[in-house]
Amino acid sequence: MKNLTFIIAFIIVLITSNCNNNSNVVVVYTTVDQIFSEPVLKEFESGTGITVKVVYDTEETKSTGVLNRLIAEKDNPQCDVFWSGDPVRTIILKNRGITTPFQSQVANDIDMVFKDPDYHWTGFSARARVLIYNKNLLAAADVPRSIFDLTKEQYSGKVAIANPLFGTTTFHIAAIFTAVGDEKAKQFLADLKSNAVVIATSNGDVKKRVVQGEIACGLTDTDDAWEAIKEGANVGIVFLDQQGIGSLIMPNTVSLINNSPHPANAKKLMDYLLSKETEAKLAKSCAQMPLHKGVEIPGNIPSLDNIIPMKIDYDKTAKKLEEIQYYLKEWAEN
Amino acid sequence: MGRKLIEHPFYAIIFGSFVFFIVIPVAYTLGTALFADSSLTDNLQLLNKDTFLLLAKSCIIAFSIALLSTLFGTALGFLLYKTQVPFRSFFKIALLIPLFISPYILAVAWKDFFFLLFNNTDFISSYIGVILVLTSIFTPLSMLIVGSALANINAQLEETGFVITDFRSVIFKIMLPLIKPALITSFVLVFIFSISEFSVPAFFGVKVFTTEIFTQFSAFYNHSLAILQSALLILLCVLLLLSERKYIADAPFLSVSGKGKSTKFYNLENKKWISLFFLAGWFFISVILPFIVLIVQSFQDGIAKFVQAFELLKPTFGNSLGLALAGALITVFIGFTVAYPTWSGVETKSGKSFDWLLLVVFAIPSTILGISLIKFYNHPILDFIYSGYAIILIGYTAKFSFISAKLIGNAIMQIPNSLDEAAQIEGIALSKRIQKILIPLIMPALFAAFVINFIFCLGELGITIMLYPPGTEIMPIKVFTIMANAPQSLTSSMTLIVFSVTLLIIACLYFIGKTFFKDYSNVNN
Amino acid sequence: MSIIKLNNITHSYGDKPVLQELTLNIEDNQLSCLLGGSGCGKTTILRLIAGLEIPTNGQIIIQDKIVTDKQKIIIPPYKRNLGYIFQDLALWPHFTVYKNIAFGLRERKEKNVKYTVFKMLEFFGLQDHADKYPHQLSGGQQQLVAISRALVLKPRILLMDEPLANLDVKLKRKLLEHIKNLKQSREFGINLTIVYVTHDHKEALTLADTIVVLNEGKIEETGNIEQIKKSKNEYVQYFIEK
Repeated sequence: MKNLTFIIAFIIVLITSNCNNNSNVVVVYTTVDQIFSEPVLKEFESGTGITVKVVYDTEETKSTGVLNRLIAEKDNPQCDVFWSGDPVRTIILKNRGITTPFQSQVANDIDMVFKDPDYHWTGFSARARVLIYNKNLLAAADVPRSIFDLTKEQYSGKVAIANPLFGTTTFHIAAIFTAVGDEKAKQFLADLKSNAVVIATSNGDVKKRVVQGEIACGLTDTDDAWEAIKEGANVGIVFLDQQGIGSLIMPNTVSLINNSPHPANAKKLMDYLLSKETEAKLAKSCAQMPLHKGVEIPGNIPSLDNIIPMKIDYDKTAKKLEEIQYYLKEWAEN
Repeated sequence: MGRKLIEHPFYAIIFGSFVFFIVIPVAYTLGTALFADSSLTDNLQLLNKDTFLLLAKSCIIAFSIALLSTLFGTALGFLLYKTQVPFRSFFKIALLIPLFISPYILAVAWKDFFFLLFNNTDFISSYIGVILVLTSIFTPLSMLIVGSALANINAQLEETGFVITDFRSVIFKIMLPLIKPALITSFVLVFIFSISEFSVPAFFGVKVFTTEIFTQFSAFYNHSLAILQSALLILLCVLLLLSERKYIADAPFLSVSGKGKSTKFYNLENKKWISLFFLAGWFFISVILPFIVLIVQSFQDGIAKFVQAFELLKPTFGNSLGLALAGALITVFIGFTVAYPTWSGVETKSGKSFDWLLLVVFAIPSTILGISLIKFYNHPILDFIYSGYAIILIGYTAKFSFISAKLIGNAIMQIPNSLDEAAQIEGIALSKRIQKILIPLIMPALFAAFVINFIFCLGELGITIMLYPPGTEIMPIKVFTIMANAPQSLTSSMTLIVFSVTLLIIACLYFIGKTFFKDYSNVNN
Repeated sequence: MSIIKLNNITHSYGDKPVLQELTLNIEDNQLSCLLGGSGCGKTTILRLIAGLEIPTNGQIIIQDKIVTDKQKIIIPPYKRNLGYIFQDLALWPHFTVYKNIAFGLRERKEKNVKYTVFKMLEFFGLQDHADKYPHQLSGGQQQLVAISRALVLKPRILLMDEPLANLDVKLKRKLLEHIKNLKQSREFGINLTIVYVTHDHKEALTLADTIVVLNEGKIEETGNIEQIKKSKNEYVQYFIEK
């Protein structure tokens, strides 16, 4: 019986040990890869003395774990700030009444294109969708310049994209739908399919396959592509459609959660995330392009000044996304 | 007697808490999600031919895995438990390793291996890959189940056979029929584990029923349909286990071990080296090969990434070990409480329903279970549970109590009722009988259940990722969140560290168990 | 005088009837043998008396107290003042011989446990084996430990379920002597009633004060050794002569 008492005591201690109600905290849920987001949040913590409690997401749940959690917690929010790697998820939350407006003064000089008209979300540091190719498998002259080149016969079986049902890939395809219209976009997807496109599990998987030389080229995000170059892989990066519809730019977004437990700290953190300093850090660590003017960035990082962006309305694209999802599922699975 | 125990306040408390903390939340959420906005009728229409075709396809895959695992598991179990093959005590433990490694990690290692070797992963990224990888993971489970059944056959039954006929006939006509219940249990369990497995088919890009549920859940946010589809899966698992139980209850030969039980060992003679080769080969393929792939990847850029990985994981060790320890203790405790009534032979309604509740909860996919628990526990009054480790422990309890109940239940069935009855007549109180007679006798099984659930809790990802409190560092979560976009050598290093920590714990617990239970081996023979 | 009365006991396992309206009286201070082939319900009777089993119908009275009535245990097994020797002996494998015997005494908070246990061990010549585990003993010794364990609590009734099955003839004879001595010993025999279940008519004809011959859940004949030997009942004649 003594042992049992001991065990029960141990369990109670363990259960209650995490319940210290420290009020000077802020709770963040993020879909940005931990390897990049953690250092930024840690610096905020050491700079302000506010404890940052984070829920990270994983590759395995395709960044939807956090989102489902936010939806499930709607009636009693635990989270203060949602830091997303792309605007799509934030818009889903806005439509479900989970976020609340907050206009950060720090972000005043960021273009309105990258903000929600009602300030439910504000964009910063952007990634772009790019083509990554293996230099051993594709000669410089053969590298496609437009996304529509990928349906050409010479790339048959040589192109990979991530599962279009998830993540930034969904958004990219939705953007193509809004940019060129449903009919053309569907034709493009059908051609891609008949050109034996390889569907990978994630953008990271696309990168890995191209790096390993399993496949010649694929669509991925700038941060994945830069990671490959940093690791010394023999790959190149192309911003597609610079003469056409432009490259898709996806900002990080940050949102304040409705009825959040620590709104004051949340706003401090949001101001911090939207600052030039954070953009500079993210440019350095994962090649994200700053949206503020005049942020110092390393020379090899692309700048929005040199890239023709796809001109899209993020809200509309998000709506388009919901519309085409069943079509995409059909496309991916059959 | 069982009935007494059921009426016992202690039992009532455990039963009540399980229902209150786990069953009600899940039932509540599933119920509301299913019937919200008349979505049930809409979604029932979505359960069309394709859904059932997909379910059938998943069944075929799971069937193949279950069949292969049981086949290989029986062969390995025979060699390890019925022959004097060299190094068998080493292999008995070493071959269990794949069971305790996250299937996802093994899938990654296998794919990389195929790429390293053939420069092509088409072969492994297919149904065949799913079947091969999951077979390598679940064969140890079959080996364990079938092996212990083989070890429990009364030697006289085999010897009687040898008087009449040859070795081959004894194996196929006497030994295998005798362990039929174990073969069926092995098949059914592996089938259920395989059909509920998500990470391996998802990683290989193979569409199965679990990935479909995930898509509904995570791409369409159609919780109601996801739950409806899960219900199909749960129903299938419950039906299978029901038939398994019915069969085993009807099996006339469960009392194979009687008085004077002893294990008969076979002499392999000239087949000794072939057998050893088979064991070593299996060990190499299922353990060493993935291990080598991880090592190669970890140290391709020198030792720096390994050190970084260790630094990253260091803060998670304490939390994770503590949680796994608490989780294992709770699940063993509940498993014991559920399994006890089977001993006294007085089957009662509440005892049976407790058993079934564990089973149903066990069959619910992790994501669905996680969402249910969030929706229920995320209320201001329950904040002390939701914002702390308690919520994770509740998740572990829901997921793993079934396993410990099954392991402990099997052990209890081996203990004759008369040992309890003899004490009843002497007027020994129930609590004392449990404490002084039953528990010491099944201590090795309790310990085994503890070890297995400890390892499972330590590696649990599906539920933990849904429930972990903000800001806490938990080992499997950290590995998977860091994995995204980190250099290959860092992720491999982290995997390697988790792999090694798990191995170290298994080794430690094994030696603790060995010294502790030294006396038991002769007592039980 | 009857110390145990079974009135109109019916019992079945599932759909399988084992006893049908059986009425049986066991006389005080006697060794009664329940004799019958396998499946005749003799072990069930023992378990019903002990309270390990609840009858489908009927009443059981021990020492003028109703212990089981209308599917209800009124007095639990341990308050019935009886000892039980199981067919498989049920020695606790994780306890030494000493602890097997002492366990019940300790739990009942008796004094002088050690003295009592060793006296018992000496009576059966087991004193040198006190620290051994059951599996280290021979079959006969295990039997004696089981008997010691039951007797040490000074029961009024001793229920024995084929205690001599699986023993060789020589050991059997020795144990039979022991059991007979038991009845006559001052230490334990005073007023000890033994109910002895067996399928071996030779055992019954050697030991019993009263023999009850059972067949398919019914009593065929009751009487002392002489009466049973002379019985005209066909089944009894067949069973004794086989």
